[in-house]
Amino acid sequence: MQAIRVENLSKTFRVKRKEKGMRGSIQAILHPRTEEIRAVKGVSFAVEEGEMLAFIGPNGAGKSTTIKMLTGILYPDGGHVEVMGIDPTKKRRQLAYQIGTVFGQKEQLWTHLTPYDNFRFFGAIYDLSEQETEARIADLSERFALKDFVDTPVRNLSLGQRIRCEIVASLIHKPKVLFLDEPTIGLDPVVKENVRELIKQMNREEHTTVFLTSHDVGDIEKLCRRIIIVNEGHIVLDDSVEHLTHHYLDQRPADIPMHEKAAEKEAAPAISLEEIIVDIYKGKEEG
Amino acid sequence: MDKRRDRSVAECGYPYGRAAYGMPWRKYTVIYRSVLMENLQYAANVAVGFFTYFTFIYIFIKLWGYLYRTPGELIAGYTREQMIWYVMMTEMIWFGSSAASVAREVSGDIRGGNIAYLMNRPYHYTLYVLAKYTGEWSVRLPMYAMLAVAIGAVMVGPVPGFSLAALPAMALCVVLGLTINAVFKMCVSLLSFWIEDATPFQWLYDKLILVVGTMFPVEMFPIGLQPLFKLTPIYTVCYGPAKLIVDFSPEKCVEILAAQVIYLAAGCGLMFLIYAKGVKKLYVNGG
Amino acid sequence: MSTAVKNQLRVCFLSLKYNLMREMVNKVTFLTNVLFMVLNNASILVQWFILFALREDVGGYTLREILLLWGLTAASFGLAHILFARAFSLSELIIKGKLDSFLVQPKNVLVSVITSATDVSAIGDLLYGIALVCFCRPGVGGFFLFFLFTVTGAAVFTAFALLLGSLSFWFVRMDLLQNQMVMSAVSFATYPDGIFNGISRFLLYFIIPVGMAVWHPVHLIGRFDFGMFLTLLGYVCLLLSAAAVVFYRGLRRYAPGSLMEARL
Repeated sequence: MQAIRVENLSKTFRVKRKEKGMRGSIQAILHPRTEEIRAVKGVSFAVEEGEMLAFIGPNGAGKSTTIKMLTGILYPDGGHVEVMGIDPTKKRRQLAYQIGTVFGQKEQLWTHLTPYDNFRFFGAIYDLSEQETEARIADLSERFALKDFVDTPVRNLSLGQRIRCEIVASLIHKPKVLFLDEPTIGLDPVVKENVRELIKQMNREEHTTVFLTSHDVGDIEKLCRRIIIVNEGHIVLDDSVEHLTHHYLDQRPADIPMHEKAAEKEAAPAISLEEIIVDIYKGKEEG
Repeated sequence: MDKRRDRSVAECGYPYGRAAYGMPWRKYTVIYRSVLMENLQYAANVAVGFFTYFTFIYIFIKLWGYLYRTPGELIAGYTREQMIWYVMMTEMIWFGSSAASVAREVSGDIRGGNIAYLMNRPYHYTLYVLAKYTGEWSVRLPMYAMLAVAIGAVMVGPVPGFSLAALPAMALCVVLGLTINAVFKMCVSLLSFWIEDATPFQWLYDKLILVVGTMFPVEMFPIGLQPLFKLTPIYTVCYGPAKLIVDFSPEKCVEILAAQVIYLAAGCGLMFLIYAKGVKKLYVNGG
Repeated sequence: MSTAVKNQLRVCFLSLKYNLMREMVNKVTFLTNVLFMVLNNASILVQWFILFALREDVGGYTLREILLLWGLTAASFGLAHILFARAFSLSELIIKGKLDSFLVQPKNVLVSVITSATDVSAIGDLLYGIALVCFCRPGVGGFFLFFLFTVTGAAVFTAFALLLGSLSFWFVRMDLLQNQMVMSAVSFATYPDGIFNGISRFLLYFIIPVGMAVWHPVHLIGRFDFGMFLTLLGYVCLLLSAAAVVFYRGLRRYAPGSLMEARL
């Protein structure tokens, strides 16, 4: 079954323009000028259940807008979205039971409370009974090694411990799809690795579909089989990571002589994923 | 201008050296000017405060309209028009001068430790704050004055026996009142050198001015209390200037101005003393 | 009560509890906040003692009725700010794009948002209001009506704030106006309605909803009239529904924080 199905999705923001200074302010009141920003322009894709997908693109490419339309935060202007067969615009609440979200640096935990109390709060939000919540907390803190700090107030936790708790908090209701928006931002390499392990483990044990955005190529390489690159509101690439790293150079025959290319196919890819991504971002800008 | 300063840096090795010796007050005018410019941009925001001012005045117009039963009736020696103009003037002083810099910024600087940098600059910290404050009310006060005159003209009627010739003396009195107010507020804020939170004292001072000083003339209070009020800042900050505007006489003008000068001198003396003691305490204890 | 409502209330209760726990981490600050709000309100009584020394009635109110009016306004305002503090800063949440986390929860967005914070000093307002009404001793029926009208008054203030705040989805700088309008409503609510006449009286009953929030209830506590009581309840329901409708219409226009801020 498909976990996410997106067809021809688009979103336009109207932004009021204002010139600088007093005169601009007055003008803005008398003749407000609006400018349209087309953040997402007809995007279509599908994600299979249990898949881990990297959804990436340069800043301002429309990633966040897309993820927010998938989770029911923003209303799309056009197109159709289904997540676990539910249309976010029509059944936002039903959808909320099916999905979990971790939005980068935005903290959803109460910092003066312990992770345990926080988890209980999220349990209440998702209508779990006391017993269900307790059992789930015990299970999650066992499996994801939170035992040592589950009773320490969040404000006294390290950044790494905090983000682990953030992710576990979003798992309390066993979501079918997890949206992760830059989950490893600002973490040191060891903690990053740790968080990636957690995500992998969750995907393996709970068969959770993962929709990931990140600027960290490590996240993509270690977690995702498939990659979608968006730029300026369009999908510019939708491919498996493996295929991309091994065959990217084939698609740009002009750059490299034939015999070199033949040699490369045997050996490990001569170009890293990071270089490929930079190349695609740039190529789009030039074009 | 920049070039000239560069040369003086080269000459004496100290950026503010010569210029500051020649005109010691210049730096305060510069501080004043820059804050004035900044605040002109926020003039539009100030206008929103008009709403609250208008609400208060409107309520008082209705209140006194109800309480005065016959035209020309006197309450505590005031006609209806004088009574309303009195409130308009004290509220104008209150709204026009209420600026964050003296109260919150000073406490914030001291408690946040910013003071250590500010006190070593080549200006006197308290005068620097006063200059900023003056820049703030220079925009707000005239706006509120215009509003007050407009409301008065349309909804109340002129002050009986008002003479334009006395306007400069009245304006001087208002300006002195505002400055004395700032000096006293500063004294309270400087208590932050010793106590954790000066806000309660700030609050007490504000309440004294607001409850006793702005709503009614001192004559409305029980006769036994009236001499006591003359000793508080109420007399020089709000009662004096407002009384002068609604009921001008040269003798009263001299009396109030004299009281203001004495208050200002004493207040500044107190302010410098507290500041000096506070700074000394900071040096001894290292903040 | 349906399970959905029960679950929603459970979350609201937990949210309130956790908010209070946070505020009580520093007990001294907490108590000072509450105490100073009580003193703050009490200081205004000076004004009324002076006015009642002058005349026997002000706007048709005796001193006792003024105390009742003040008590009801303070208690309603307090209750609204304890339970629904976020309704009063809704504009800011919308402009800064802080509704995201509420939109991914399987709960009523509006309820979750407005119950997500608590204003501690409002406890002082509520206590002060209750103290005043105890001082007035309106009898058992009067007490009952007072508490009922505290709830309806809180609902009116909250709905008014919500209506204004929701306009942020369409207009810029509503954050300033929301605050100003609510505070001016509260100012009007602490003076007797008898001093206002004609058009201003009409406006204060229907546009700035002070009349139905406090004046009308004070009259009803003095002399109960069942028809007027039902009118009041109907008005409260209508205002609440209007606020909810405007909020949800606006929510479709919700945009990320960076874009909403760019409009300023």
